[in-house]
Amino acid sequence: MLDNSKRAKVQEGLSIHWHTFWAMARKELTILSRYPIEFIASFGQVFLIVAIFTLAGLMFSDFRDPTASSAAPAQFSYSGVTVYGFILFMFLSDTLWSIGYNIRHEQIQGTLEQLYLSPANKFLNLIARVISILLWTGLASFVAALLMSSMIGHLPIKNPLLGLYILLVSLSGTFGIGFAFAALTIRIKEAAQTAANFLQFIFLILCANFFPFSALPPFLRFFSRLLPTAYCVDAFRSAMMGFPPGFPELAPFEIEFIIVTLFGIFMPIIGYRLYRASERYARQAGTLSGY
Amino acid sequence: MTQPSWQSVFSIVLASARMRFLTITRYPGQLVLDTFIPIVFAAMPILLGRAGGGESAAEMFQRNTGTANYVGYLLIGSSVFTIVSFAFWHLAYWLRWEQESGTLEALYLAPVHRIWVAAGTALYSCGRGLFAALTAYFLGALILRFNPLQGELGLALLFILVGFIPLYGMTLLYGAVILKVKEANALVNLMQWGVSFLMGIFFPITIFPPLLKIIALLFPPTWMTNGVRSALLGIGFFLGEWYLDLAVLWGFMLIAPLFGYWVFNHVEINVRRNEGVGQF
Repeated sequence: MLDNSKRAKVQEGLSIHWHTFWAMARKELTILSRYPIEFIASFGQVFLIVAIFTLAGLMFSDFRDPTASSAAPAQFSYSGVTVYGFILFMFLSDTLWSIGYNIRHEQIQGTLEQLYLSPANKFLNLIARVISILLWTGLASFVAALLMSSMIGHLPIKNPLLGLYILLVSLSGTFGIGFAFAALTIRIKEAAQTAANFLQFIFLILCANFFPFSALPPFLRFFSRLLPTAYCVDAFRSAMMGFPPGFPELAPFEIEFIIVTLFGIFMPIIGYRLYRASERYARQAGTLSGY
Repeated sequence: MTQPSWQSVFSIVLASARMRFLTITRYPGQLVLDTFIPIVFAAMPILLGRAGGGESAAEMFQRNTGTANYVGYLLIGSSVFTIVSFAFWHLAYWLRWEQESGTLEALYLAPVHRIWVAAGTALYSCGRGLFAALTAYFLGALILRFNPLQGELGLALLFILVGFIPLYGMTLLYGAVILKVKEANALVNLMQWGVSFLMGIFFPITIFPPLLKIIALLFPPTWMTNGVRSALLGIGFFLGEWYLDLAVLWGFMLIAPLFGYWVFNHVEINVRRNEGVGQF
């Protein structure tokens, strides 16, 4: 049991961390609010992405004749598959850029070294970025979901609580990927931009965000099964669509549930450890501010 | 002050392009990615269509677009989009990069007009865009299994080459916006998707409502994309014959650069009179 002085110390430590975190989060939110064009543009971008993929999908249907039935009707909800996949993709993409690649901005601006000379907890700087992603990407996802469902049809919402749980643990794991990518950014510097682009597109295909996994060739599905984020996408949309025939596609739901939960718990820890290791290496090698 | 000779101007254009080519050769991963991004981009609607449309996917696609070769149609769209997108990214980022690194003001004091430095960047962008689009098209055809050598390849290439000039003329308009507003990242991202939407990257613009269709037709990349698709897949030119569509692109070729330059110049004078080009 902790005595009073120890308890006071712990409380004080937590309070300091909270205030540091809040100051850093506020800095991110202030920056966000200072670029209204970026804010508006990101919503416009979401609308256009949604419109492009929706119209592309419509080219494979009898959309000009609403009374006609397709010769091979889809066994799944188009809107369910694409909207839920798109939401997770937006978070993953924003995490790679905002948490991972933003370290590079600090390096280029010359503020990363200074940050390490301050007594503040450095890792909180990474976590603070999560707040802006949750707000910004969360809002953009909501708008995208509304838009997409209005364009391609009714969006099934069958198991909202289960879906919310899967979304939360998926986000936790995704943020862990962001921390790991931040570690990589410290090591590979400018090439991180290429790496972020590459990873984004690899995830886009292997996690089947815009189409069912059954559309992937079998050899690619093998690689999908190696990615926890693919299970997140599959479990999330299967749950939200009410487990239509053939869903989930990668594994029985119970197994996907366990994988997604473990991913949500362990990935942030792994990401954090990788970040600390990379940070330690950069400090010892004197490359923290080098770019 | 004497005007620089054409030889000096040409040398400046080449030096500017060479500098950028040299920089990109230091990031070979980026070059590989340039080729793969259009393939991945086209793969998404292809896979979605195959999953949803089943065996009738090609039939449905033909009914809506005029060709059953949906793989070719979508891959051409994303390859041409790469060229268009690169034009906006490279020109806008060149300007923003000069602003951020503090060299834009210095560029204005140089004895040569900055339009030639921009032309060097455009030359680099054309080369990189064309390389990415061609490799993406041929490699994509190999991966997604369709014959890339069907149709009039020469005519398709002609549409691209003629389309380059109005396209880069338009990027000057965009450069003017960057010079004024300065938030290049957000605007380029938005423009990238706006462009792909208007040019009908994955669908024919005939599905647009009339007003949107007119806007799309005033946009040179729309003619480029349709020209390439018609030449390779025979979906039909907007005006019925290839030379009529090409003539429209020639028209754009005369108007777009002049209009773009006029707007850019106007904004530039305005910015210099006020806060100056060094502000960012």
